Amino acid sequence: MADNIKVSLSENKLAEGISEVRVDGVIDTLTAGDLAEVMESLIHRERYRIVIDLAGVDYISSAGWGIIISHIKEVRSQEGDIKLANMVPDVYEIFELLEFDNVLKVFGSVSDAASDFNGSNPVKKKD
Amino acid sequence: MFRRPIKEINAEFPAEESYLDSIQQIVREACATSGMRRKHISAVLLAIEEGATNIIRHAYLYEKGTIRIRIVIYSKTILFSLFDTGRSFTPDSSGKLDLNKLVETGRRGGLGFYMVQKIMDSVEYISSAGFNELRMSRRIQSDPRKGPGFLRRMFSLRVKFSFWTLFIVSIIVIAVNYYENNVTVKQLYDHLDETASALTSTIAEQTAGFIINRRSDVEFDQLTYSFSRSNPFISLIVMTDTENNVLAHSLDETQIRKPYVPPFPVPSGPPGTVRAISSADKNLRYLMMPISQGTRKLGTVHVLFTTDLIDKHLEDARIRSIALTTALLLVGIIGIFLLTSYFVTPIVNITRRVRKFSSGEMEGELPLDGAEEFLEISRALNEMTTRLSNDRQNLIEKERLSKEIEVASQIQKTLLPNKLPHPGNLEVEAFYRAASMVGGDLYDMFEVSEGRYCMVVADVSGKGVPASLVMSMLRTVIQIHACNSETARETLLKVNDYLIDNIPPGMFITLLLAILDVATDKVKLVSAGHNPLLHYHNGTGQFSEINPPGMPLGVPVTLDRTFEESVQEIELELEPGDLILLYTDGITEATNHDGEQFGVKRLKALIHDHLQSSTERKIAELSRIIIEEVDGHAGFGRQDDDITFLMVRTAIETESNDSKVEESPSISVQIVDEDKPTETE
Repeated sequence: MADNIKVSLSENKLAEGISEVRVDGVIDTLTAGDLAEVMESLIHRERYRIVIDLAGVDYISSAGWGIIISHIKEVRSQEGDIKLANMVPDVYEIFELLEFDNVLKVFGSVSDAASDFNGSNPVKKKD
Repeated sequence: MFRRPIKEINAEFPAEESYLDSIQQIVREACATSGMRRKHISAVLLAIEEGATNIIRHAYLYEKGTIRIRIVIYSKTILFSLFDTGRSFTPDSSGKLDLNKLVETGRRGGLGFYMVQKIMDSVEYISSAGFNELRMSRRIQSDPRKGPGFLRRMFSLRVKFSFWTLFIVSIIVIAVNYYENNVTVKQLYDHLDETASALTSTIAEQTAGFIINRRSDVEFDQLTYSFSRSNPFISLIVMTDTENNVLAHSLDETQIRKPYVPPFPVPSGPPGTVRAISSADKNLRYLMMPISQGTRKLGTVHVLFTTDLIDKHLEDARIRSIALTTALLLVGIIGIFLLTSYFVTPIVNITRRVRKFSSGEMEGELPLDGAEEFLEISRALNEMTTRLSNDRQNLIEKERLSKEIEVASQIQKTLLPNKLPHPGNLEVEAFYRAASMVGGDLYDMFEVSEGRYCMVVADVSGKGVPASLVMSMLRTVIQIHACNSETARETLLKVNDYLIDNIPPGMFITLLLAILDVATDKVKLVSAGHNPLLHYHNGTGQFSEINPPGMPLGVPVTLDRTFEESVQEIELELEPGDLILLYTDGITEATNHDGEQFGVKRLKALIHDHLQSSTERKIAELSRIIIEEVDGHAGFGRQDDDITFLMVRTAIETESNDSKVEESPSISVQIVDEDKPTETE
């Protein structure tokens, strides 16, 4: 298992107000901190509409899921959400097995995920 | 439920996150060996990582430790166990974690355990005897979410047992039925054949008469008709003459005089035997018998008869039999299930008990009923539980006690003087070492009034906690009374007055109490049955053993004199360089393997040699030497009694140094020599 992770953030690229977090590598105990940092910074800046692109991730441990799950309530209370995109089959199967599909939405592409935000009521926050 | 394991893998790793990869590697290989599907392997890897991470973080709190992993591969299941020796935690195993609750609270804790529970088929956490085990099992095939619980219950021991019993009983019943049926069929057929044969012979006989008497065709016809009508199982009677021309035909009279053509292909065989004819719709049997008068052959009788009646009868019988068998089996199922329950319930109870037991619950006994064998198991298990429970109680008790003693020891240490006064240019040194965790010896030195110091060494009879408690009290009592008394004797008397009412019966204290006046270098000494004070005279190199009379404290006054009368105070004067040693018998009575005591001679020799060899040497070093020698004498780790001493040495006047060194050798020899009596005062 590679000990490296790359977390890249692009804001407003998909649509106004939506932040895309692209992760490559393995999200486990050792690497989860990088993702946590990005998520914290987004929420700190009140950017609550987040799409996480998991195309380059082939393993997510509880440390990784914990970061995502622990922020759901907060972003939703601010009419935002965390949506996942491009999950690889291995990750998706565990995702399903753990019944995370009950609390998180998954999309085939980041643009699908982004357009799902527009479907819900659009919010102009002060960002 | 598990069969014999196919493979077992054991490994141990340091509990560090950097070793997670190695742990996963082993698990991955084991899973691959077992034939687990790839997607299931990655889930299992995740669960193992969660378990191991939990150990590193929570059991060891990132401190040094090891994780032991055991993987046991069975044909259908893999068992994973993670062991650690860290802190145990209480997983929320009562109810499965609710994902929505996690989302609601935004907590991350518990997510790992939630994942382990989701991925594995069963998760147990066992904490006992200093280590914890996280035991997880995963079936190698199929989806864990598809009710393994239901299936397992379906195929519980009871159901399995019932099923197999039923299966075996059914086979036996069916086999017996089948055999019985076959026998009956054969008997019935034989009987029919016999009847048919007998009838045919009768027909043949009568026909023979008819032929001889040249009866008419109508008479022949009537004969066949009457026979076939009175015997409904006969379907055809044909009589032929020697030319095989039909004489009579029970079904078709137009055949008369025509050559006989059998309606079925007749199987070959000798006349008079019954032959079965295979036919599409009817079970027919054929019988042919010659018509003869003596040896003269007159013709042949052909008889065809059906088994329809018998077959119908048999069919009815079979239906009845099946109905009866089914009914019996149904009753049997209930019976077997009840019986199985009766046998299996004790096992279920025992299993449940053992499970509880393994999770640490010791309460509750197994009911002693059921078959003798189960009774035995139950009894043994109850006994084991009780014994283990008791052992655990004892262990807990012991641990508690040793902790208490440790606390007492700590308290006691704080009660001993942590800093001794060093009045003027006196050298003061003290030593105390308890034989057990807590001791009953005491030493103390404190200022009573300006320039006057009280020095005490005491030995409370007995050892351990009781002695130490009295010792603590004693120290306080002495301090209080010493400051309020004019003399050493007065102090001792006051202390005794107090102790008489406050020390447990049967316990006594020996004590040596000295008041040293720094200004005059005079020492006033009283003793309560203690061993003498050693006074080393620096000027002469000799020792005095000063032993003021006095009874031990706490001894009931049964003698003719009171405690007060027994105590006498002795005064001594210290010259420059003199040393006084107050000690307990822990030093002099330290015995070696041969039972030989360390003795006061050795002690004196040590002091003498040390003080004579170099004036520069501090008595701190002397103290160290004494301890070393005593330990060396008794042997390592053997200390029967508390060792305590307190010594004070006056400053040496520089001008007197030389003379002392000169004087010393002769005396030194004298003292070391064991055979000669030591000079004492």
